[in-house]
Amino acid sequence: MPSEMFTQLVDAHYTPLFRFALSLTKSSSDAGDLTQQTFFIWAKQGHALREEGKAKSWLFTTLYREFLRGRRRAERMTALEDLGPVDADPPAPEVDVVTGMDAGLVVECLQEVDETYRVPLTLFYMQDLSYKEIAEMLEVPIGTVMSRLSRGKAQLRAALARKESGAKSKVVPFKNTTARKLS
Amino acid sequence: MNNEEAKFILQGYRPNGADAGDTTFVAAVEQAKKDPALGEWFAKQQAFDAAISAKLAEIAPPADLRAAILAGGKVTAAGAATQRAWWNHPVWMGLAACLAIVFATAVALWPKQASAFGDFIYADAKLSATHGGQGHETSRLQAVLNDATTRLGQKLPINFEELSGTGCRALNYRGHEIMELCFKRDGVWFHCYIARIADYPMVAMTDTPTIVDRDGTSVASWKDAEHLIVVVSKSGRRSLEALL
Repeated sequence: MPSEMFTQLVDAHYTPLFRFALSLTKSSSDAGDLTQQTFFIWAKQGHALREEGKAKSWLFTTLYREFLRGRRRAERMTALEDLGPVDADPPAPEVDVVTGMDAGLVVECLQEVDETYRVPLTLFYMQDLSYKEIAEMLEVPIGTVMSRLSRGKAQLRAALARKESGAKSKVVPFKNTTARKLS
Repeated sequence: MNNEEAKFILQGYRPNGADAGDTTFVAAVEQAKKDPALGEWFAKQQAFDAAISAKLAEIAPPADLRAAILAGGKVTAAGAATQRAWWNHPVWMGLAACLAIVFATAVALWPKQASAFGDFIYADAKLSATHGGQGHETSRLQAVLNDATTRLGQKLPINFEELSGTGCRALNYRGHEIMELCFKRDGVWFHCYIARIADYPMVAMTDTPTIVDRDGTSVASWKDAEHLIVVVSKSGRRSLEALL
C-alpha cells in the first residue's frame, strides 16, 4: 500500500476512531492501542478493500470487532436488550449546562451508558456515520439502532444530571482533554 | 404518523444536518415544522445533540498517536510483504499447478479438439436434408448472406441469442449451441455455422477466411470478435472463393 495513501487515511480517520475507541475502552492508552491496531490491520489487509469510499466504515467496524475480540461480555449485552421500556423524555440538563461542562466530564457520562447503547450513541454523536451505516456496522436492523439511540440518550441524560448535581457540590476542573485515563 | 413515532425517528437525525436528504426523516421533519409542540421538542433535541457532539469533538488523541500509527503501519506493511508474496501462498501455488496441467493437456489436445469441431460441422453439412430453420432473426441474417454484396470474412450482424431464441436451427456440440442457417448465391446453396468463441476456446481460427477442401466439400472458416463462423459448400472451392 503506498505510504501517501496510508498517511491520508490515517489523517482522515485516526481522530474519530480514537474518540470511538475511548468511548469503548474508557482508557486513553487502551483507545490509542485499539486505534493503532485498527490501522495495522488495514496496513496488512486493507488493500483488499476495492471501494475507497468504504474505508471509513471498514475502519470503524474493524475497530469495534477488535474491541469485542479482546473482551467477552456477549451474554450481558444480550440481556440488556431485554430491558423494559425507555422512560418518556427523562429530565435532561439544559443545553447551557452541557455546553459549560468539561469535555472530559461529558465523555465520562457517555461511558456510563451501557455498552449496547453507547456504541451506536457515540457513533451518532461523532456524526461520521448515518444510522443506516451504524446498522450495517453493528449488523442490526435500522429500527434497533433507533431504539438503542433512544435508550442511550435517556441513560446519557440521567448520567449528565447526576454529574451536574455532583458538580454543584464539588467542582473539579479537567483542563487536559488529551491522553488521559478516564476510569 | 403520531408525534411519538415522529420523535422516535427524529432522535436519529444528526445535528450537523447530514441526514437532511434522507427520505426516512422527511415526513417527521415536515411534521415537526407544522406541530409546535413537536417542533419545540425537536429543536431542544437538536441543540442537546449538537452540544454533546461539540464536546466529543473537543477530545483530541494523544499527541504521539499519529506518528506511532504511521511508523507502525510501515513496519506492518513491510512485514506483510516479506512474510509471503501473494503468489507464493500455497493456495495460489496449487492453483498454478492445476492450471499448468490443464494448459498442457489443452495444448496436447488442441489440434484434436479443433479437428473434432470441424468434423462435426462437416458431418452435419452432409445432412442438408434435415436443415431448415425459421424465425425473424434467421430470415434477417439469411437475407444478409443472400445479398451478393456480402463478402465472407466481413463483419456479419450476428445476434446469437436472438437466433437461438427465435427458431434458428441449433446443434448441440459438447454442451453448447451452434447455429446453422442456409443461404443461396447464384443458385448454389451454402451452409453457415455460427458458434460463440467463448464456448469453444480450443478452436483456433483467423480473422480472414481460410478455405480447405475435404472429400469434394469446401469449408471456409474465420472468426469475428465473438463468433466462430464456418461456411460449407458442396459445390467446390471456387463457389466459396467467389464469395470472398
